[in-house]
Amino acid sequence: MQAFDVIVVGSGAAGLTAAWHARNRGASVLVVNKGMAGRTGATITTGGGVSIAGQTLQALGLPGDASDREDDFLLDTLKAGQFLGDQSLVQSMVTGIGAEIARLSALKTPIKIMTRAPGHTSGRGVHIAGPDIQRVQVQAAADSGVRFLEHFQSTGLLQDRDGRVVGVAGLDRATGEVRCFTANAVVLASGGATSNWSLRTAPEELTGDGAAMALAAGAELIEMEMLQFLPCCLVAPEMWRGLQFPWILGPQSGIRAWLLNKYGERFMARWDPERMELSTRDMVAFASANEVAEGRGSPNGGVYLSWAHLPRDIIDNFFRISQTVSADWRWEGFDMTPLVERIRAGHAIEVAPAAHFSIGGVRINDLGETAVPGLFAGGETAGGLHGGNRLSGNAGAQVLVQGKTAGIAAAQFAQKHPTRARPANEDEIIDRTLAPLGRRDGAVPAETRSRLTRLAERALSPVRDGATIRAGLDELAAIVTTDIPNLSARQSERRWNRDWTDALECQAAAIVLESALLSADARAVSIGAHRRRDAPKTSDEPLAHGLVRNVSGRLTHRFDPVAFSLVSPAA
Amino acid sequence: MTRIHLRRAGGAKDDWETIDLPSPAEAGLAATSWDEVSASTALAWIQRNTDPALAFLLSCRRGLCDICAVRIDGKVVTACTTPVRDGMRIEPTKDKLALAGTIIDISLVRRARLS
Repeated sequence: MQAFDVIVVGSGAAGLTAAWHARNRGASVLVVNKGMAGRTGATITTGGGVSIAGQTLQALGLPGDASDREDDFLLDTLKAGQFLGDQSLVQSMVTGIGAEIARLSALKTPIKIMTRAPGHTSGRGVHIAGPDIQRVQVQAAADSGVRFLEHFQSTGLLQDRDGRVVGVAGLDRATGEVRCFTANAVVLASGGATSNWSLRTAPEELTGDGAAMALAAGAELIEMEMLQFLPCCLVAPEMWRGLQFPWILGPQSGIRAWLLNKYGERFMARWDPERMELSTRDMVAFASANEVAEGRGSPNGGVYLSWAHLPRDIIDNFFRISQTVSADWRWEGFDMTPLVERIRAGHAIEVAPAAHFSIGGVRINDLGETAVPGLFAGGETAGGLHGGNRLSGNAGAQVLVQGKTAGIAAAQFAQKHPTRARPANEDEIIDRTLAPLGRRDGAVPAETRSRLTRLAERALSPVRDGATIRAGLDELAAIVTTDIPNLSARQSERRWNRDWTDALECQAAAIVLESALLSADARAVSIGAHRRRDAPKTSDEPLAHGLVRNVSGRLTHRFDPVAFSLVSPAA
Repeated sequence: MTRIHLRRAGGAKDDWETIDLPSPAEAGLAATSWDEVSASTALAWIQRNTDPALAFLLSCRRGLCDICAVRIDGKVVTACTTPVRDGMRIEPTKDKLALAGTIIDISLVRRARLS
């Protein structure tokens, strides 16, 4: 067993920021991650927006709108989250982001000033490309003496007899060993849980491992029913599933493409007759999912996006207004010419909302502390900041600020409370991790994974109802009984065993989905990203956070009133 | 019939195996033909259905992270953005980087790695 002051789980922007700051405070730091540092995780796929008030930009000597105060940024964020956001976390993001932008700027990160920020009252924000932020941060962390262990799939938090977190256990995929690392503090920065949905924009590995481990260790999860979807993503063909290209070639760029149901009805007229397809992304996502839920969808479970009423010139000249699509239709790693040819020939494209961002997650305070001593969290793993919904660019600000906060708090905790206590739960985690490897027959992990993602797609889409959520809970209970204890790695080779890896992801995914379903069932009203067809109106009841905890092996949900410490919704 | 050829880490230069793929519909994929499916999905299908031991990596699915990089028909590409072609030959990008299956070591933190 190797010992560190701080172990950071995850190497996206939140994890690397946490590692750098903890190291900068003198801590010995190990970053473990499931994939490859600087490459895997959601950060590299980000649109690049990082929200920051104009006032803060000016204070940094960068061009910004001086009339855009930090208070305005705070209020926009709270309003977008329908006042369900934890105000201390919002305050921390709004006031903390300037210092992080200054740090990244000193590290020579390419930073552009933005003039347009959808949903914000001002054009506040900067743009940092995902690959740039990862390249700079991984370099800075390595230069500062942070150590890395890649391809390490964390499966449990080591705890001493009093429940204090003292390390991490998991599978080293490259060697096939189950390994334990002790630490005085652990930071969870392992990203969200969007890979548990079938249609998703996010990378493959975001199965909510951090939330599952935190729950098992005794921490609380918050607002797990809240999931952000991006509308107008491709449902087919297979290679392009989840790409938001139609959204970019359409509404996001202000292009007046039409959303149609299978009868050719322009259904946005029922929800936002003025803005129609240019409505907010939540409204478009909800309205599209609602067409499918009510039986008016297209063959592959989406709706149609059509450019047929527009002259071809609009399409042919798109590259002139686009920052990301080239004249030869290269976009990200793809050649989108075949799709564009279909559009030019007058075909509509099937699109649907794709899971994009986990709004809920591990409950933390403004120091990044969870309810468990020695356990910290930040970034998309952590919930509560965005409340009912997230504004554009606020994920970028969140990961940087919360990464820093958690990294510093963990380093300080490690200094103040060093421990040599032996883990009390090591055997249990090792046994659970090894179990799928020992089974020759049983559930094929990739098939269980598909069952779980289809379940999420049905029960936790952008439009929900009690009956579907409860059917989802029943189906999940069946999977937890039949599949999860019988997951089989099918072969004995320990190194790079894909089935084994998938099986461990299924273990985490099932717990996280159960948390989300319980939360969605308990919140019997529509608020933010949680829209219920059986309760379309927001209730007059006082706003409350939805919290999930593991009580003696059983997940339980409770509500806790929102504290309006800074701004009251009435004001 | 769509057929692909695969050479894995540790395999000799001429050590190619041939895999016949079923139709995309039979494979349960949202595609009418294999040219609408990425090489990554083909590798995943093989691992899931015919060869549980096949090692491969996949993350962003859009050509940004490069962890799925392979050599296809002689050219280094990201498998996630490369459509399947009948007769395509998939192998690790470089034998000396190859770890297992199609996985290669392209770590950005080699000097800071824990042993």
